Amino acid sequence: MSFKISLFPFALLLLGISFLLNLSMGSIWIPPVELVEGLVSGNWAKNSWEQIILHYRLPKALVAILAGIGLSVSGLQMQTFFRNPLAGPYVLGISSGAGLGVALLMLAGAAFGVSLTGLNSWAIAGAGIVGAGSLLVLVSLIAWHVKDSMTLLIVGLMVGSVVAAVVAVLSFFSGAEALKLFTVWSMGSLGALTWSQVSILCLLILIGTIPIIGSIKSYNALLLGETYARSMGIHTSRLRWWMIGSTGILAGGITAFCGPIAFLGIAVPHLARMAWKSADHRVLFPGSAIFGASLLLLCDSFSHFPGWASSLPINAVTSLIGAPLVISLILRKNLSKDF
Amino acid sequence: MANQHITLEGIGLSLGYSQLGKRKELLHDLSFQLYSGELTCLLGPNGVGKSTLIKAILGNLKPWEGKLILGEQELQTFPLEERAKRIAVVLSEPSYPSNLTVGQLVALGRTPYTNWGGELSKEDRKWVEQALSDTRLGEMQDERLGELSDGQRQKAMIARALAQDGSVIVLDEPTAHLDLVNRFEIMTLLREISHIKQKAVLVVTHDLDIALETADRFWLMNCGNPLYMGRPEDILLSGKIQDLFPGEKYRFELERGKVELRQVPDNLPIKGPAVGVYWVKKALYKAGIKELSEEIVIEPDFRLTYKEKTVASIEELIQLIQAAKN
Repeated sequence: MSFKISLFPFALLLLGISFLLNLSMGSIWIPPVELVEGLVSGNWAKNSWEQIILHYRLPKALVAILAGIGLSVSGLQMQTFFRNPLAGPYVLGISSGAGLGVALLMLAGAAFGVSLTGLNSWAIAGAGIVGAGSLLVLVSLIAWHVKDSMTLLIVGLMVGSVVAAVVAVLSFFSGAEALKLFTVWSMGSLGALTWSQVSILCLLILIGTIPIIGSIKSYNALLLGETYARSMGIHTSRLRWWMIGSTGILAGGITAFCGPIAFLGIAVPHLARMAWKSADHRVLFPGSAIFGASLLLLCDSFSHFPGWASSLPINAVTSLIGAPLVISLILRKNLSKDF
Repeated sequence: MANQHITLEGIGLSLGYSQLGKRKELLHDLSFQLYSGELTCLLGPNGVGKSTLIKAILGNLKPWEGKLILGEQELQTFPLEERAKRIAVVLSEPSYPSNLTVGQLVALGRTPYTNWGGELSKEDRKWVEQALSDTRLGEMQDERLGELSDGQRQKAMIARALAQDGSVIVLDEPTAHLDLVNRFEIMTLLREISHIKQKAVLVVTHDLDIALETADRFWLMNCGNPLYMGRPEDILLSGKIQDLFPGEKYRFELERGKVELRQVPDNLPIKGPAVGVYWVKKALYKAGIKELSEEIVIEPDFRLTYKEKTVASIEELIQLIQAAKN
């Protein structure tokens, strides 16, 4: 156990390095040393650097950290709850709901004469939250009737694909301008948030994480399956409500503010399991959180590579890095044996 | 076993499921007593409702009628956490997280006793140590479940149930995936646990012969019949055991203590020691040989003579008989 805990300083170091690298990278390279000096003392070598860091890169980095934490811990709880190595924060279809909300605003809204140029980020985030919230209610109603967790998983996936189909129909009938706006949203973006939105996202992540912290023992017992967990005094039906609420707030909130971000939630818990060689959620939840934050910071740094005229969409970058990662994991060992 | 007492009692239980408003009753008017300090084996054909009964005993299925009494109190009145301190379970399904160590697995058994974070107290650690040593897994506590054999893993699961410190341990076909030696090992271990730790151990099993060797009591379940309880030997000698084998095809062979296909017309002339005659007869029956024109003689050093030719194996004997026929 002591060996495994000693990994945490290294993981935190990785997080720190990723954070500084993320702040330094962009169309203008800001050296990390001067960056730290500016952040600590408030004396910036160049006035423009202060502007760039405080108004653009720092909120973006914080959003990357928050989204990385939220998606990873949400993915971990889904994988353990459903005992499925391919489960992730999106399997219940709640974040597709966020997508639907935004699609309704942008695509259908355009048809009813809502001015697209007038759409600010608050309206988009609001639509996302309303969409995720309604799907959360819908999935909860279904979960009420469904006792079996595997059925719930399938229902979640089906609901997600129905929502995706509705979005596709909306897209089909949309004008070019609205469609482009929605397509850009669906590529994900960490940088579009103002400081007040960052604080709301932070609040959502905090609220979404509380049920997880309260259920760590239950998740450990759940490693053996629902029957064993119940026989050890774990209220699995209560846990399922906590899980739906937590993942709805985390994945729904993140999707509302940043758009969909693929793969992170599935891949990071596996990375944490491999690094710590543990199944103990007291290790895996903090481990996944740190890895998730670091990985999203690194992906974002990569998408803002210095010298590139424009940045790559974050959803594409996480998939570009995440998909090969998942494939190599599957090839290296039998993933299903982890469960 | 002087102070053995009833730990769990079922009185007039009716169990079943309801789906879409339709009620399907599986078990009707079941009564039983489970004693501490005894290994009880529950036997019965597939689909007779053993799993349903186990579900009810674990408290996961509410009886439609009748009562389940645990200690002095009705089972359903215990909160889940309190029930977990009294009844532990081991299932047959071989799914497990391969990253978990044996020690961590057994520590999970303390879940009903630990705080919200699952931190083990000194007392908890003592229980884990004890459970590991009782199952002779002390040396293995740092090994990962993925590296163990199926038998060792099931032992670790039993250790986990022991650490849970209930008065009842229920095992649903715990040896279903194990080889013969491990089946014996697990059942002897369970017998030991029930006797030394004074626990009431209930095992669902299909291994009649191993159950006969190890169990103190049988519960027999049969389609349409209520549950029948008794000492295994009573059930054997009274002929009640034949209820497990409906139809004419199989029967329980008392002398050999095992189930056999209802045998062979006894018209094969074979002479020699009884054991030899029995097995040679069986081999010939399976090879489709129903009559012999001459006697087979089995010599003491396992040489077989037929029509004045002597061979050293049943294989050769069968060839000989078939050659003689053609």
